[in-house]
Amino acid sequence: MRDLKAVGKKFVHVMYPKKSSALLRDWDLWGPLVLCVSLALMLQGGSADSKDDGGPQFAEVFVIIWFGAVVITLNSKLLGGTISFFQSLCVLGYCVLPLTVAMLVCRLVLLAGSGTVSFVVRLVVVIAMFGWSTLASTAFLADSQPPNRKALVVYPIFLFYFVISWMILTFTPQ
Amino acid sequence: LRPSRPGGGAAGPAAADPLCLGCSALFSRHPLATFFHLFFRVSAIVTYLFCDWFSNSFVACFVTILLLLSFDFWSVKNVTGRLLVGLRWWNQIDEDGKSHWIFEAKRVSTIAASTEVEARIFWLGLIICPVIWTMFFFSTLFSLKLKWLALVIAGISLQTANLYGYIHCKLGGQKSISRITSSFFVTADVSKRQTRRISENCIEEHGNTASR
Repeated sequence: MRDLKAVGKKFVHVMYPKKSSALLRDWDLWGPLVLCVSLALMLQGGSADSKDDGGPQFAEVFVIIWFGAVVITLNSKLLGGTISFFQSLCVLGYCVLPLTVAMLVCRLVLLAGSGTVSFVVRLVVVIAMFGWSTLASTAFLADSQPPNRKALVVYPIFLFYFVISWMILTFTPQ
Repeated sequence: LRPSRPGGGAAGPAAADPLCLGCSALFSRHPLATFFHLFFRVSAIVTYLFCDWFSNSFVACFVTILLLLSFDFWSVKNVTGRLLVGLRWWNQIDEDGKSHWIFEAKRVSTIAASTEVEARIFWLGLIICPVIWTMFFFSTLFSLKLKWLALVIAGISLQTANLYGYIHCKLGGQKSISRITSSFFVTADVSKRQTRRISENCIEEHGNTASR
């Protein structure tokens, strides 16, 4: 339907980020929800999980992503940004897509083995996708800020994706 | 010569026949929308209450309830509100990036009995479920089962968003919500005030006549 096509179009836009205000105009939060759930599902079953069913860790990933996105949005609005609350949430959520792809690749690599080679491969993939995510979201979000505040807005976004990348990189299956 | 009314034969007997009116009151005009309006909300609540029976896995329950809540939000916002009560609301961002929230209500000339039944079901479902999720919030908080807290907060925000949006639609364009609530409290004790005023007038008159 119409909504599904809009979600698909936004996914494509994230992978090839060019500044288009048309993307920002119709925001929706379906994509971020799907990405958040799939990322949280893939981060299950790590060695940090103790005896139980990985419940708290699943909710943790959720809370980190959504709460982090809300805090970044509030930060950019307090700095005088012109973007609306839900637009910013939409962009930040959709730009988690490269990191979800990185998580998928990491899990596949870990199936092959968990030695030094696999660590190096995972490191390279995660760094590349982290850079892609940060660049994609900055391309959309930094324009709505006055020019001397751009670094203040980019830094929390950098931190947000860094935390997610750290969770992905330090994931070791049980 | 009387001009013949097109379809007059169909409209006349239906309006006059009380049996047909009763039938239309029982069967709503949008049975599917009514069903789905309640289905997703109630199944989310039921799954939350009985998740231990369905599955041992916290993750499966969490994802199921979250998906049910999201489908419920989408269907109530986009489909059932429009079909059952003729209200809709959305967000629009114009050329210079400013966001506007738009609330619309459809003008209805006649209110059929079936529409009233549907509207009652709509508003009951819309109001009762956020209240239930708020109770869940307090019960998780006090029983310290904090891993469910994220889910309950998500449920409360999604359902309250729809509730707020539709209330705004219903009242918007006429008065603002704060004025409506204040006028509600005013009309509640207007009878007391009227009697007080009448008695004050009487006392004034008596006082005046007494002093004279």
